[in-house]
Amino acid sequence: MKEELHRLSCYVENRPGVLARIVGLISGRGYNIQTLNVGPTEDGTVSRMKIDVLGSERVVQQIILQLRNQVNVIEVTSRRL
Amino acid sequence: MRSTAKNGAKALVEALERAGVEKIFGYPGGNVIDIFDALSTARFDFVLARHEQGAVHMADGYARALGRPACVIVTSGPGLTNTITGLGTANMDGVPMVLVCGQVPLAQIGTDAFQEADTTGLTRAVSKHNFLVHSADEIPETVAQAFYIATHGKPGPVVIDIPRDCQRETTSAEYPARVALRAYHPEVSATTSQVNRFAKLVNSAKRPVILAGGGVIASDASHDVAALARKAGIPVSTTLMGLGSFDETDPLALGLSGLHGEYAANAAIAQCDLLVALGVRFNDRVTGQTVSKFAKRAKIIHVDCDPASINKNVTVDLGITADVKELLMTVDSRIHSAKHDEWLAAINGWRRPRTEGLKPLHKGVIMPQAVVEAVYSATKGRAIVVTDVGQHQLWAAKRFRHTQPRHFISSGGMGAMGFGIPAAIGAALARPGCKVAAFLGDGGAQMTSEELIVAVERKLPIVFLVFRNSSLGLVRQMQTHSFAGRYFATDLASPDFTLLAKAVGMKGVKVTDPARLDAAVASAVRFKGPVLLDIEVDRDAEA
Repeated sequence: MKEELHRLSCYVENRPGVLARIVGLISGRGYNIQTLNVGPTEDGTVSRMKIDVLGSERVVQQIILQLRNQVNVIEVTSRRL
Repeated sequence: MRSTAKNGAKALVEALERAGVEKIFGYPGGNVIDIFDALSTARFDFVLARHEQGAVHMADGYARALGRPACVIVTSGPGLTNTITGLGTANMDGVPMVLVCGQVPLAQIGTDAFQEADTTGLTRAVSKHNFLVHSADEIPETVAQAFYIATHGKPGPVVIDIPRDCQRETTSAEYPARVALRAYHPEVSATTSQVNRFAKLVNSAKRPVILAGGGVIASDASHDVAALARKAGIPVSTTLMGLGSFDETDPLALGLSGLHGEYAANAAIAQCDLLVALGVRFNDRVTGQTVSKFAKRAKIIHVDCDPASINKNVTVDLGITADVKELLMTVDSRIHSAKHDEWLAAINGWRRPRTEGLKPLHKGVIMPQAVVEAVYSATKGRAIVVTDVGQHQLWAAKRFRHTQPRHFISSGGMGAMGFGIPAAIGAALARPGCKVAAFLGDGGAQMTSEELIVAVERKLPIVFLVFRNSSLGLVRQMQTHSFAGRYFATDLASPDFTLLAKAVGMKGVKVTDPARLDAAVASAVRFKGPVLLDIEVDRDAEA
């Protein structure tokens, strides 16, 4: 299946350990994160993560579903770059 | 409620009481000593394991047999690292559990302090979720959240790491009346159009098969699956985790499918035009390595509570994220009564006689399959079957006729050797009055034999059946078939397990004569307390 660069946009609770959990979930399944950007939103209790990851549509969809299963993840969207 | 000041350890104990915990499995240590002091005056039944892995497997067996979350408390550092295999096992098989672990004081975290380990880092990949508590005030709410997370959505183990100073400091925090999680809302249900499509596919199928998995047991949907099967005339196969979710003495039962499954079950899945997969996750043991060949003539319906399991391994025609029981209750009125006589006749033609595998390979040597038959008849099929991992696990899975949910307890996803002995103890503690049959290989039995003494302390009605073939049989079997019989590291010297049993005060009996097998098993089943049978079986028998 064709691998393409996808940008995942994740809104997560701003707590210790959440970044490691998200990154671990992606890297632990053998996918390489190309770019990672984390910062606070206007609501200080929520952080936004932009994650660029190379993968097929199917793989990226699976990553999104796994991310949404995480207890601290509020919302995940994605687009192809 | 009036809040009263107490230390964090007492707040934890009160929170566990509020969460409905009755038994706690665990092992003490320096960084949980305050918690154990608080436990000393609490009403819990504390089960002291002999190794933290044993404690977690016991809790796992307890939760599976009872259908309620289990609780474990261990100390920091090695106490926690010893739980990893147990947590991974519970996580893969979706077993609800809350594990509380001590931690070095907050100020010492990251200093490589004595018995320090990065608990949240270590347990992230083997738990559903984990927490590091930062103050005693957080403890009651964290416990409530942990039990909520462990039991909602796909169940799983949740870890709470509590630094020692948080156990000692004073708090007046109370257990919350309800749990509010900002981002975790696992409640799911089917849309009307999904329900309609489900009914339409089932009603128009000519050669349907139901595949029932562990999710059927988790959602308590066995009766609903049976109702669907009988009404629409659909034969039912189960995964390893689903054994007992459908009565195998029913004419519609196909038994286990997959890599080690029944021929008829696999043939039916290969030939069916509709596969209704309920509470399964299409593990590679179920689909085979070439997923594209799995049920290739069929439309596939997949119902599971975990949205991430749908279209993960198998691409399906209708994926429904829902609780299995809720979905089946909703769809029931739209299902037409049907009979598929030709289809069932074809399937019956694929069934193999049950006597297969019982014929001795060598005169005077016990066939391992005959041990399972002997236990089945001595317990009239009513025992809770717990297994370790290996050939005996497959024989127990296939030869025992499983009729009730929560009566087959096995490490499915993780395949963790060493699970059997402690999980059997947990199951026996969960279900007083039930006879437990623990099927063990002589390999796995050596991994956690330190827990046997717990069965003696508690006088548990467990029959431990050690299949002695002096080899790591399932690996040896792979070496026979895939490596031209180049056996390496699979010959196994095993202790005399009857002496091991005697050393811990347990009755132990050696069985070598096929003619004595049935009587020995029947007498062990009649025995009130724990008993171990060391049974010499044919090492050439294959699973």
